[in-house]
Amino acid sequence: MTVASDPLLDVENLHTHFRTDEGTVRAVDGASFTVGEGEIVGIVGESGSGKSVTGRSIIGLESPGEIVEGSITFDGTELTDASPATRRRLRGTSISMVFQDPNTTLNPVFTVGEQIQESLKVHADPDRQRLLEYLGVPLFRSRSEWSGYRERAIELMEQVGIADPGDRIDDYPHEFSGGMRQRVMLAIALAAQPDLLIADEPTTALDTTTQAQILERLRELRETFGTAVLLITHDLGVVAETCDRVVVLYGGEVMEAGPTDRVLTEPSHPYTRGLLECLIEADDHGSRLSAIDGLVPDRFGSEPGCPFASRCDHAVDECRTVDPPVVDVGDDRRVACGELDRVRRRTESDDGETTVSGHASREGVVPRLLAFDGDGIDPDTDPHEHPVLELEGVSKTYDTTDSTLERLRSGRQLLRAVDGVDLAVEPGETVGIVGESGSGKSTIVRLLTGLEEPTDGEVRLDGTSVGSVDERTREQLADVGVVFQDARSSINPRLTVAEAIAEPLVEAGWDEDRRERRIEELLELVELAPEYAQRRPHQLSGGQLQRVAIARAIALEPRLLVLDEPVSGLDVSIRAKILNLLADMRDRLGLTTVVISHDLDVVTHLADRVLVTYLGRVVERGPAETLCDRPSHPYTKALYDAIPSVTGSETARALAGEIPSPVNRPGGCAFHTRCPMAEPECEAEDPAVTRVGEARSRCHFAESVAERSTTDSPDSESPDVPNSS
Amino acid sequence: MISTNFLAYRLATALIVLFGVSVLTFGLIYLTPGDPAETVLIQQTDQQPSQEAVDAFRAEHGLNDPIPLQYVDWVAGVFQGDIGQSYYSDRPVSEMIVQHAPATVELAVAAMVVALLIAIPTGVLSAIHRGERLDVACQLGALVGVSMPNFWLGYLLIIVFSLHLGLFPVSGSGGLENLVLPAVALGTGMAAIVTRLVRTAMLEELDRAYVDAVRSKGLGERIVIYKHALRNALIPVVTVVGLQFGFVLNGAVVIEIVFQRPGLGTLLVDAIFARDYPVVQGVVLVTAVAFVLTNLLVDLSYRYLDPRIRLGGVSA
Ligand code: SF4
Ligand code: SF4
Repeated sequence: MTVASDPLLDVENLHTHFRTDEGTVRAVDGASFTVGEGEIVGIVGESGSGKSVTGRSIIGLESPGEIVEGSITFDGTELTDASPATRRRLRGTSISMVFQDPNTTLNPVFTVGEQIQESLKVHADPDRQRLLEYLGVPLFRSRSEWSGYRERAIELMEQVGIADPGDRIDDYPHEFSGGMRQRVMLAIALAAQPDLLIADEPTTALDTTTQAQILERLRELRETFGTAVLLITHDLGVVAETCDRVVVLYGGEVMEAGPTDRVLTEPSHPYTRGLLECLIEADDHGSRLSAIDGLVPDRFGSEPGCPFASRCDHAVDECRTVDPPVVDVGDDRRVACGELDRVRRRTESDDGETTVSGHASREGVVPRLLAFDGDGIDPDTDPHEHPVLELEGVSKTYDTTDSTLERLRSGRQLLRAVDGVDLAVEPGETVGIVGESGSGKSTIVRLLTGLEEPTDGEVRLDGTSVGSVDERTREQLADVGVVFQDARSSINPRLTVAEAIAEPLVEAGWDEDRRERRIEELLELVELAPEYAQRRPHQLSGGQLQRVAIARAIALEPRLLVLDEPVSGLDVSIRAKILNLLADMRDRLGLTTVVISHDLDVVTHLADRVLVTYLGRVVERGPAETLCDRPSHPYTKALYDAIPSVTGSETARALAGEIPSPVNRPGGCAFHTRCPMAEPECEAEDPAVTRVGEARSRCHFAESVAERSTTDSPDSESPDVPNSS
Repeated sequence: MISTNFLAYRLATALIVLFGVSVLTFGLIYLTPGDPAETVLIQQTDQQPSQEAVDAFRAEHGLNDPIPLQYVDWVAGVFQGDIGQSYYSDRPVSEMIVQHAPATVELAVAAMVVALLIAIPTGVLSAIHRGERLDVACQLGALVGVSMPNFWLGYLLIIVFSLHLGLFPVSGSGGLENLVLPAVALGTGMAAIVTRLVRTAMLEELDRAYVDAVRSKGLGERIVIYKHALRNALIPVVTVVGLQFGFVLNGAVVIEIVFQRPGLGTLLVDAIFARDYPVVQGVVLVTAVAFVLTNLLVDLSYRYLDPRIRLGGVSA
């Protein structure tokens, strides 16, 4: 893609500040970059790097922050001093924005149709906005005009991939799944027929499979309408998938910018290198990940120097006193670092060492097939040995019928969240459970921990059947430690770190002396300095809080540690550190672990054995490596295919459709509605479990799927997705 | 759309509340000193009644029965649609209530309208100009409004607008001009409460992510505020306003006396002084029913306003 001499968007030396109680934060601090017509440009950086504020400054949203310096030129118009009316007009007609969390960015009280139609109206007539017309007061809203918008809205919904748009247009946002809501947001953005679409973490809140679909839409948009996209993300994989050029932001300044493939394959700036090294690569199973030390600092005042100096391995004194020069390294690439030559030399000589680090495959734990662990197929082990945790035929059904009347009319509506799951976890083993949201994995967590009781089947700890939390003995409770999803909402914000960690100890009846000693130990174990004991959750970063949650979970030396989405929502460098910590602790304390995540990378990285769930059932299980190298269920394969890869050799493939509602579970193989390999018999007959090597798969064609997975080498490009760039 | 379970549950709670209220009023009445028979006869004949007359009265109205039995009789009557007769005129209580209720309802509704007309714009303005002088002024006004007793405000309004300016009649009922001052007197307190509520709810809404998303569509601030944010902010407001309706009815009683408007308030107060217990019972019962019904309506409208509740709102 060639960039015209006059780019569509030109951001020059942008400074956006916002005031906080502690002082003025320089969120964007001299960023410059351009977006050409029809170009997809990615802005990457960790949270706090200023990437969202940059996007908001462009579209002119006031909170947070105020543009104090610099210029933003869009299509020849200077935006920083444009009148509010001009900016509003541009928003309605040329620049649109899609935000991160579609659950909170749609107005809950209006139908999606109304919200799309409204945008169409703004686009048609941005300068005349009559309140009564927008409120839908009949006399003020021309029937014919708005029914035209309605038709167009249906078209837009179809375009972004919402099935049956005509039926769904009058639904409210909460009736849509997360992925569908994001499509609605996209439809709203497209209503303005924008030249530039700013997408702020548009897929972060979504499953990987849905993410791939949304990214595909973005690329299509560019193909069909020539819309330029500014994609703000923390995920380098997403950038590699989608963007022509990438801008790496740190401390509100551009660290490195250039064509995506060049920047990601040969990063020059120490920060870009760091970000790339944090990623989990396919062959990283069980090895240590590298991480960037330290945290993104909040930038107050106006210290000179390189913003990355406090975390840079290559920093010299000069870095802290002089602003680093922007070096043109050719190929349309710019890097803001004064020590590039030295960095290059040092990393070249280092390379030998860094690559051999880790890769210590976990010894002593050999994934095996166990007695109850699979649907009655020949056990490989002595059935008398007790696993730490067993699930036998565990099901959980919820009754969602909400009225007596409905019950009389149409019978009960049963939601099968979990359906006949068997699992046995041996001492010292790590088992991963993976699936999209709605696959039943969070219900499994609730069943393991006793927050819910199974409708059918049995949960056993050390061979003893256990019931709900209330029925478990103190020892049984202490035996299971849980790190819940989203530490911020699972830790009482009013407690200090020490108090939060002490809670389970108090409950177990420990005296104060013993508690204090244990808390000290635990903080050390999770690598938090002792002074954190007296801090409160709001003073901690996401990663630190996660450490507190982990400390709390292992406080009573549980035999089983359950990790529910342990790193979701964390920045890559922090994610790497937490994953390392978890692996270390597990090995040091000999913990038996169950890790649940929607992120296949995370699960395969930590786990010895993996269960893949779909609509409450285990569809494939086997050693992590086998599943990764040779998936024998189409769903597992689809999950792997949807992960965007940084090396960009293969485009992530989206899995069509949405996970169906567990209330109306499709007959036969439940996956047949989305399965790319489905045959007529799949719809008629529920497949039995087939053993394929070390893995077991619930698919009629398990063998051939596995074979195809191995021949499907990385260089075979999927024919239907055109390669961008 | 409303589930039958929900309705059954609400009806059951309503019945329990009504039972409690009726037992309480019944009990309180019979705990108050003084014999209704004597009081009523003195009022009717203007002289100390003879013991025979008192006994006859007591026998006629069943006042010699044990109190629980009287209660059961009364409840049985209620279920047959008979809530008793006045000791004085022998008119059915229900008839008297039907005659007096419209004036009270009229006053209460007018007061609510006044309250909302004042509160919604003030609350919204206050929220938009948070921390500015306008906001401070609105909040001060609300403080004054809340702390002013409504009967006192009533007298104040009479003095200023009726006696000095002669704009409105001092008392009476019937025309619109008779309604204005009582409605303002009664509505002001509520307006103050609702203003604060609208302000808080609006501030909360304006902080939500969808507001920025709506702005980014290119909509003007007026539509962002009055269409998107206000509609959400009204959800809690409606609940509270509905719950307040019961209190407005209570306030109406006082205001009716201040403005000497005929209504349930005057009826109730007269009946209490005259020991006309069937009327007291009847009015209390009817007010309680009204209270319970408004609450039910509030819940239903809440469901209408908030689609997440309307549809039983479970989705993945
Ligand atoms: S300028 Fe210095 S501190 Fe900044 S990235 Fe380069 S070497 Fe590191
Ligand atoms: S049984 Fe059929 S539909 Fe199910 S996963 Fe296998 S191929 Fe797909």
